[in-house]
Amino acid sequence: MQTLREFTRKTKRGNILKIVREHYLRDDIGCGSDLCKYCFQNEVYQLTSKHEIASSLFKFPHYLVLDTNVVLDQIDVLEEDVLHNVIVLTTVLNEVKHKSSSIYKRFNEIIHDRTRNFYVFVNEHHKDTYADRDPGETANDRNDRAIRMATKWYDTHLETSQTSKEFERSGRANTRVVLLTDDAGNRAKAEAEGILVASATDYVKSLEEFPLLVDKLSHKTFDNEKQALPQYPAHLSMKQVLEGLRLKKLLQGAFQASRENYLEGSVNVETYEKGILIQGRECLNRAVDGDLVAVELLPESEWSAPSEIVLEEKNVYADDVPSEERAEEEKDMLQQVQQAAAATSAERTPTGRIVGIVRRKWRQYCGILQPSLIEDTNRHIFVPADRKIPRIRIETRQAAKLQNQRIIVTIDTWPRNSRYPLGHFVRSLGPLGDMATENEVILLEHDVPHCKFSEEVLSFLPKMPWSITSEDYAKRVDLRDLFICSVDPPGCTDIDDALHCRELPNGNYEVGVHIADVSHFIRPGNALDQEAAARGTTVYLVGKRIDMVPELLSSNLCSLVGGVERFAFSCIWEVDKEANVINKRFHKSVIKSKRAMTYEEAQVLIDDATQQNEIAKSLRQLNRLAKILKKRRMDNGALVLASPEIRFQVDSETHEPLEVEAKQMRETNSMVEEFMLLANITVAEHIAAEFTECAVLRRHPKPPPTNFDPLVKAARYQGFQVDIESGLVLSHSLDKCVKEDNPYFNTMIRILTTRCMMQAVYFISGSLQKEEFFHYGLAAPIYTHFTSPIRRYSDIMVHRLLAASIGADSTYAQLLERKSNEELCHNLNYRHKMAQYAGRASVGLNTHLFFRGKEEDEEAYVLFVRKNALQVLIPKYGLEGTLYLKTDKEGKDGVERTKSEIIFTFNEEDHTQRCGNVVFHSFDPVTVRLSLDSSNVQHEKLVFRLVKPYIKGFSVEPSADADNPPTKKTKKDVKKKN
Amino acid sequence: MAYVALSEAEKTFILHGVEEDFRCDGRSRRDYRPMELETALVSNASGSARLRLANTDILVGIKTEIDVPDPLTPEFGKLEFFVDCSANATPEFEGRGGSDLAQELVLALENAYESPLAFDYRTLCLIPGQQCWKLYIDILILECGGNLHDAVSLAAKAALHNTKLPRVTASLLDAGVTDLIISDNPYDCTRLTIDTVPLLVTVCKIGDYCLVDPSAEEEVCSTVSIVVSVSMRNGEAFLSGSHMTGGGAMHRDTMRNCLDLGLSIGEQLNTVLAKMLKQEEERVGPKRPKTVGFLK
Repeated sequence: MQTLREFTRKTKRGNILKIVREHYLRDDIGCGSDLCKYCFQNEVYQLTSKHEIASSLFKFPHYLVLDTNVVLDQIDVLEEDVLHNVIVLTTVLNEVKHKSSSIYKRFNEIIHDRTRNFYVFVNEHHKDTYADRDPGETANDRNDRAIRMATKWYDTHLETSQTSKEFERSGRANTRVVLLTDDAGNRAKAEAEGILVASATDYVKSLEEFPLLVDKLSHKTFDNEKQALPQYPAHLSMKQVLEGLRLKKLLQGAFQASRENYLEGSVNVETYEKGILIQGRECLNRAVDGDLVAVELLPESEWSAPSEIVLEEKNVYADDVPSEERAEEEKDMLQQVQQAAAATSAERTPTGRIVGIVRRKWRQYCGILQPSLIEDTNRHIFVPADRKIPRIRIETRQAAKLQNQRIIVTIDTWPRNSRYPLGHFVRSLGPLGDMATENEVILLEHDVPHCKFSEEVLSFLPKMPWSITSEDYAKRVDLRDLFICSVDPPGCTDIDDALHCRELPNGNYEVGVHIADVSHFIRPGNALDQEAAARGTTVYLVGKRIDMVPELLSSNLCSLVGGVERFAFSCIWEVDKEANVINKRFHKSVIKSKRAMTYEEAQVLIDDATQQNEIAKSLRQLNRLAKILKKRRMDNGALVLASPEIRFQVDSETHEPLEVEAKQMRETNSMVEEFMLLANITVAEHIAAEFTECAVLRRHPKPPPTNFDPLVKAARYQGFQVDIESGLVLSHSLDKCVKEDNPYFNTMIRILTTRCMMQAVYFISGSLQKEEFFHYGLAAPIYTHFTSPIRRYSDIMVHRLLAASIGADSTYAQLLERKSNEELCHNLNYRHKMAQYAGRASVGLNTHLFFRGKEEDEEAYVLFVRKNALQVLIPKYGLEGTLYLKTDKEGKDGVERTKSEIIFTFNEEDHTQRCGNVVFHSFDPVTVRLSLDSSNVQHEKLVFRLVKPYIKGFSVEPSADADNPPTKKTKKDVKKKN
Repeated sequence: MAYVALSEAEKTFILHGVEEDFRCDGRSRRDYRPMELETALVSNASGSARLRLANTDILVGIKTEIDVPDPLTPEFGKLEFFVDCSANATPEFEGRGGSDLAQELVLALENAYESPLAFDYRTLCLIPGQQCWKLYIDILILECGGNLHDAVSLAAKAALHNTKLPRVTASLLDAGVTDLIISDNPYDCTRLTIDTVPLLVTVCKIGDYCLVDPSAEEEVCSTVSIVVSVSMRNGEAFLSGSHMTGGGAMHRDTMRNCLDLGLSIGEQLNTVLAKMLKQEEERVGPKRPKTVGFLK
């Protein structure tokens, strides 16, 4: 039987077309129930009598039909392995797909799980359940009607199967069909039509065997909500927002909450370089970090400047009504800010208020439950790990159990009358402070794909045992005789580069860089390739590695381990004694690394003059050449940047950090680095010349001069002139920033410089002008990543391009397509950034664990002077923290203290804090006491307290038995001040 | 025109019949042959009609498109006629055989519809000077049984009546440019008013007498005929165009008589068509017809 679906559609060019689709109705679609005797069942029964849910609402066996709104709102409930025998109508499935692709994906996973007994019923093509749209009926009404029709049909259909004598003899209760919908209108209509119906909430509550499932219900509206007064202005409707955007009255941009001040944020708008500042709760108007919002610009007279106050929210209660006290507090803060802004009118930036939300970017948030003051309450406040996210109100009955766990919560809604967004509990990650849990949090918060590789992905791995065939030898250059070796950090199992160097008869040297040939194993387009592309990079956490490619490749087949034959992609130069490249070539090869060394081993080998074997000789030669290369690079204006890097010695069993050490730089590190740079640059030049439109390159843009402001200012206070004209000048002026009495000063200046830099990014050669290819940090006109294909997908792309250009591999359409490559680069940049953040977060986490139960006095330096705090850096741990100073307001800093007379005054002119005769400048050495504040088990944090210089009533008394007695420098400093 | 071979005796027989106001099929000179009408049968089209006038079979489909009005008539929408003489009708239409006839029919229709008084082009305008509807009226001749002009015009008018234009609302964009938003409800449509839409009446002169609705055989006997397009306004029939076909000439008085006859017949025809459309509407109902194909 055939019917037609008609609809009108507007084409891109503005034409309006009537489109008619043929729609075939069938009579052979099975109902999927094992009770049915009539339907042709073409699949294994999906609806079985094995799973029966005990509901106090429906005390007989039943199947469930879900309305679209139930799937959309209660997906977390559905994901729990509780509900079985669920009929999924295609009407619902299509609506879900249309409304939220992420929920659609999750829902699909449930459906495909056979143990869950979710049966997809193609009601849209069943002759008895197809609902043709009636005139005057909205699309929504029609879908609701279709759902009711299908429910009704199921019920009667099963009825007929169950009236047989045979069935009656079995003595089983009749199975009925229940519709779950949260739409009150639909519910009423269903009841009128004689359909069993319930709301999702009522139904879940009726499942007495699973009381905890209630927590997972999404609360679009909390029951018995106090009708509190609206605390926020209403958002404009979508139509008004679009109208406003069209008329340029409103601006659209992504909202970025401030990490430091919960009442501040900014919206990135194209036309405003610095974005639009948003201050105050009402102006923020329920925007959550990442949301796409519509902003109205305030008149210029009301513009403000970003406050330099570090403000953390306190006194959060779950049952909050707007307390006057708090409102007062906020007002104070705003006033302070505005006064400051009035004073420094030069720094006033465009300020606005958020009037509407274009698109929410809510995701799931990791965090902890705040202990509630009232016992036996179901309402709780959830504290997200990410400081940019506001607290979330949730309802849970298992608070006691969750108290010491990391949990995931999602936001459902943020009504006007609620101070905090309302959400619900999704799942628990594990106990607080547990290494595995905390790592999971880091990975989730940074959107790092870390699930196991799927079977499909693994199916594309080479079959073991794997061996090199004679065919492979024929295709590749045989370099097995060369003295190739690799130099890597200790414990490295994914070795992707190896080197060799030998003297040629003409007195020149042949230098080779051999990179693991990952692209040989990962063929374009298959599941393995797609997975690697999606992951983008391997993520390194302390004591844990999340691989981009399965372990078989990363640690075995691709890794250039010593003494084993491996495939490599070689880049070979002939250089003269002065390290000038005379010619170069690329080819695929088979190598056999003679030895895999650590940096330390290599260094020993070089330094030990008694060693005269081939490896030692070639390493010495490489080292000599690397020094020349490095000098040449420095002369070109490459920057030496510093960022405090540390390594943790991790206990192999408990995964807890035992020892912290700063990363050591040896000559060999620099040696390997130089040749990798050379290889990358050489390859970049080659592929950019071969593929002008689609080469994957990496650039590091020159930062805009305003970026350097904090650096230039900070240096000026110290009497140094930092020139930022060009990389070369900058590098020279950085070299000059040396202070006799402060050896760490230069490093700190370099740390500051690093922070002024832009992020280096991947891009496609066709998308930019040649001048823009420049890599600022390396002072190279062109650059790419070629040397780490095991851990970076960009390198795999470069390998493929290079292989195609030398005829070693075939090209494929997508490789040369600019658009898809651009999208790929976009993803790689994002993954890269996230991997970096995750790595840093992991270091931070381990620092916390390290300080558990310890208290140490450490030497530190002031990095920035803020209005109410000092930002200090501890070089030993590469740790940065905030030392709250008391302002004239009591009790606003991080740690509660007794009332005292200590007053710090902030000098705007030269950014100093003064208290009595003690003055804090940027870069001043101080001694701070580090301890972990575990008073709040939920939220441990490192506390910094001042030891030296000593301010009575503020500093802590230097402990007699301190682990690290204050060093000389600090003493000198104190003496000076005395 | 489709050629029907007639012997001299047959022609004389027809001539005599006309003279006595008793034609071969028993009709008087002012009578039409039986008509059958069906609308909304092509689901892909916005409007459609099929008309069968004895052996003449016409199918009309109307497609819509958005277009820009002509700068001289910024408030007018557009119509475009297209006639396809199917080779099913007669083997002579094979290849380009029917193109002359098709051209003649298109011209006759364009001529009749030209006046804004005959067809209100303003109803097709969406945004003056910017956007308007353009209707493509595609006419397919399935069978030729004489009197094509009348049949085509009747079918076209019925199809116009059946045409449903999706309801469109305009929203203002920057710089006075407007954007069209279509309703998501396929039943939310506007209809055209067809009161003034003209009908063509062929008045055929056979011997000394004029008659309407000539059959294919009668057309062969005619020396000259005049096609009168009749538009109804306020219950009165107006002439919106006319043209002559055939090789012969006409005396002034005869022509006047022919026009008068055409107008009065056109008026009657209009009432009949309106009645038929109403019946058809009731049969089909607001929803799509359940039947598939051409059979009632």
